[in-house]
Amino acid sequence: MSDANPILSGHGVGFLAGGRKLVAEANLELLGGSTTILIGPNGAGKSTLLKLLTGEIKPAGGEIRIAGEPLAAVPAWRLACLRSVMAQHARLAFPFSVYEVASLGVDGIGRALTRQRREAIVAESLAAAGVIDFAGRRYQTLSGGEQQRVQFARVLCQLEAGRSVAERQVLFLDEPIASLDLCHQLALLDMARAIAARGVAVLIVLHDLNLAVTYADHLIVMDQGQIIAQGPPAKTLDDALLRQVFKVDLTLSRAPAPGLPFLLPQQHRARPAA
Amino acid sequence: MTLAAPSPTMATATLTTLIASRRRAGLLAIAGLALACLLLTIVAIGQGAIAIAPGRVAEILMARLTGDTSLLEGRDVLVVLNIRLPRVLLGLLVGAGLAVSGALMQGLFRNPLADPGLVGVSSGAALAAAATIVLGDRFLAGTMMKLPFAALPAGAFCGGLISTLALYLIATRGGRTSVATMLLAGVALGALASALTGLLAFWSDDRQLRDLTFWSLGSLGGASWTKLTVVAPIILPLLLLMPLLARGLNGLMLGEAEAYHLGIPVQRIKALAILLVALAVGASVATAGLIGFVGIVVPHLIRLSVGPDHRLLLPLSALGGAMLLVGADIVARLIVVPAELPIGIVTATIGAPFFLWLLLRRTSLIDV
Amino acid sequence: MSGLRITEAHRGLRQPSRREMAATLALSALGLALPAALTGPALAQAPDRVVVAGGVITEVIYALGLQDRIVGVDSTSQFPSEALKDKANIGYVRALSAEGVLSLKPSLIMLIDGAGPPDAVSLLNESGVKIAHIRDGLTPEGVTTKIAAIGAAIGAAAPAERLAAQTKARFDELATLRSGLAKKKRILFLLSLQNGRAMVGGRNSSADGIIALAGGINVADGIEGYKPMTDEAIAAAAPEMVLMMRNSSAHNITPEELFAMPAFSQIPAAASKRLVHMDGLYLLGFGPRTPMAARDLMAAIYPEAAIPPLKTAAAP
Repeated sequence: MSDANPILSGHGVGFLAGGRKLVAEANLELLGGSTTILIGPNGAGKSTLLKLLTGEIKPAGGEIRIAGEPLAAVPAWRLACLRSVMAQHARLAFPFSVYEVASLGVDGIGRALTRQRREAIVAESLAAAGVIDFAGRRYQTLSGGEQQRVQFARVLCQLEAGRSVAERQVLFLDEPIASLDLCHQLALLDMARAIAARGVAVLIVLHDLNLAVTYADHLIVMDQGQIIAQGPPAKTLDDALLRQVFKVDLTLSRAPAPGLPFLLPQQHRARPAA
Repeated sequence: MTLAAPSPTMATATLTTLIASRRRAGLLAIAGLALACLLLTIVAIGQGAIAIAPGRVAEILMARLTGDTSLLEGRDVLVVLNIRLPRVLLGLLVGAGLAVSGALMQGLFRNPLADPGLVGVSSGAALAAAATIVLGDRFLAGTMMKLPFAALPAGAFCGGLISTLALYLIATRGGRTSVATMLLAGVALGALASALTGLLAFWSDDRQLRDLTFWSLGSLGGASWTKLTVVAPIILPLLLLMPLLARGLNGLMLGEAEAYHLGIPVQRIKALAILLVALAVGASVATAGLIGFVGIVVPHLIRLSVGPDHRLLLPLSALGGAMLLVGADIVARLIVVPAELPIGIVTATIGAPFFLWLLLRRTSLIDV
Repeated sequence: MSGLRITEAHRGLRQPSRREMAATLALSALGLALPAALTGPALAQAPDRVVVAGGVITEVIYALGLQDRIVGVDSTSQFPSEALKDKANIGYVRALSAEGVLSLKPSLIMLIDGAGPPDAVSLLNESGVKIAHIRDGLTPEGVTTKIAAIGAAIGAAAPAERLAAQTKARFDELATLRSGLAKKKRILFLLSLQNGRAMVGGRNSSADGIIALAGGINVADGIEGYKPMTDEAIAAAAPEMVLMMRNSSAHNITPEELFAMPAFSQIPAAASKRLVHMDGLYLLGFGPRTPMAARDLMAAIYPEAAIPPLKTAAAP
């Protein structure tokens, strides 16, 4: 269910670097219960927009509000209870074990919780991310995909720990499935939607158009720093947009010529109804 | 709905057991190392060029505590209370301070090659010490004054702090300190300080050059109660406040952006860590000269044994560093009796081969 | 007062001759530099466990025949060579260890000027052991005072006075020889030549002292102490002879090697390849052997003058 009041909203958000507008006049709203997916070609400004929305960098213009307050006014620790971020790359400098990495999500903001509760959160998140069997292993010994799932577990921990303090939360996932097998990709995105179903506003940056269309309640298309189009997937994408933004001459929703097999995730029945 | 294999509840129970056993091991390590440190301290007070029976050593210490002056007669009292005791205490403080500083720097720079010198303290202190040794008397040549004994340590300490402040200001823009800039600027400032120190050595006379050489090799021989009362309040904040930094440094391992997202006050942690390290290392260098190896090796050894969690790493590094330095000092005091080896030589001679051996045994010491 | 102190110590020894008494009183008058730190009244009994930090102090004690009283010496006590072989080595004179020194159970600690570090010295002061600070004088008066002070501290004032008197006589003879020199030659003392950096002995250095005693002119007297000197300054100084310390173990630079270097190729000394090596401690120790060392140096500087050996040096 979508909540009418946006948990996070941005108006006229812009960012400059080296004289170039990396993000220009972005207007968007993230509603609780809704899964928003951000797509666009490389260099479109998706990561920059994400950094603006998570508070990592300050906008040059415009305003961002989270849970009713201006983002700039929220201190870092409280922000950590309100939103959780999974980055594209996570390099670890020292040999932490898997459960230690996941625990980072609860260690800071979960100090008020009991130790049992914290450990339970870590265990549940690791289990949900499918990496609990690796719990005692060193993070560096895992494959890229497994490491991504551990990061996802960490992000889940943080969200869960923050839930005791903040009712309205946002989950940001920046290309969370880049190194995952198809089955894990689908499972992770399923989980993201399940989290959204609990009332969290979810924003995912994806490259894969098919997956984006399958999982989005709300699609945002960016190109060269601008939001070109946004709305329900069916209404947002069309052939002209594909040509203009993605520079491909392909027709939407047309079955390919027989001979070559095709596999579309849209058929994945596991996804719950919006 | 999950990405998991079946029976997650069993795995949860295993995880809880795992966490509990790791925590137990960590607490055991702290208790064990603390006990070992205490024993080593007692041995260190009992050992020295002059042979004093352990019973007599204990008697002297007890008499001092109870204020019973009747037992406090004789030269051995001076040796135990005024030579060995301040020296061992200074060794504990400096050893702990250097090791924790090393761990903090490795955490801050997210690099296992970082050592306490990276904030510029050591090179600044060395330059100030060289200036005091070489130029000090010349400065006062016209007057009848001699340079006060405190000039050298005070000068070295100030030099270290000024150097760190310069580095901090260079690396901090818009309220944000870039550790990468600090690293590079530190290399540059260090090279400059080295060059100036070299220039001073070049223009020094023979006696000053010897003094400078011995100073730079490090020694706990300058320990006294006066120095301890000045230095302890400068080094102790690092040791007392380090738990505040532990969680933040753990999160910093993922990167500064991630740490920010986790709610960690990154800039505050950096500033506090840099300040505490500058104070502790500055005071250490000022009173004991340049002692290498403790800051790099001890945190690594601890990390190898119990892992990189700073909540364990920092206190264990403190204990390990204290033990290393006190142990090295025992060797320094006994090996060429009645002379004394500079302690920097001992820490390097003990530390380097042991570290190499450890590296050869364990294949994945550092994962970068 | 110091005269009285020394006379008291003579009790039990043979009566001094009138000449020696006069010398004693004269030296005592000169003994303004006698260590103020000599604590306590006259020594009723000579200290028998002496720790020495300062090569010249060791040399004097050996010269007085009292080496059995020494239990420890510092690393600069290189003459006589038995000192470091037979006695415990307490380390470099400016890097002593308080507990190390005390472990030798000394009844007297003798420290030359500049012994250190200050922390160790203050701990030794606190220990209550008698400490004698000896001024390291670099003139004839300084040497004789030094000898007398060392003797007084170690409870052998009379033999030390004799040695001091002998040494003074030798210095006097040396001065006579010096007055006979026609024209003084220009000397450069080269302490070391590492990596092309020439360290020379300037004003107020021990090298300066010995050059003056040998009747030479120190061309480096614009510099204070042992400092580096640039190539041009060396050329401008135009020394007629270069003096260096002899290295016992390492290679001693030959005249060919030295005068081939650009800095030294243009100086007057290069024409006759005048490079002289002398033993360092002998030359610069400023102890009892100094008059002979200065005489040897004078002979080396003025070979044509055929300087004779000191007559007074032969006397016991």
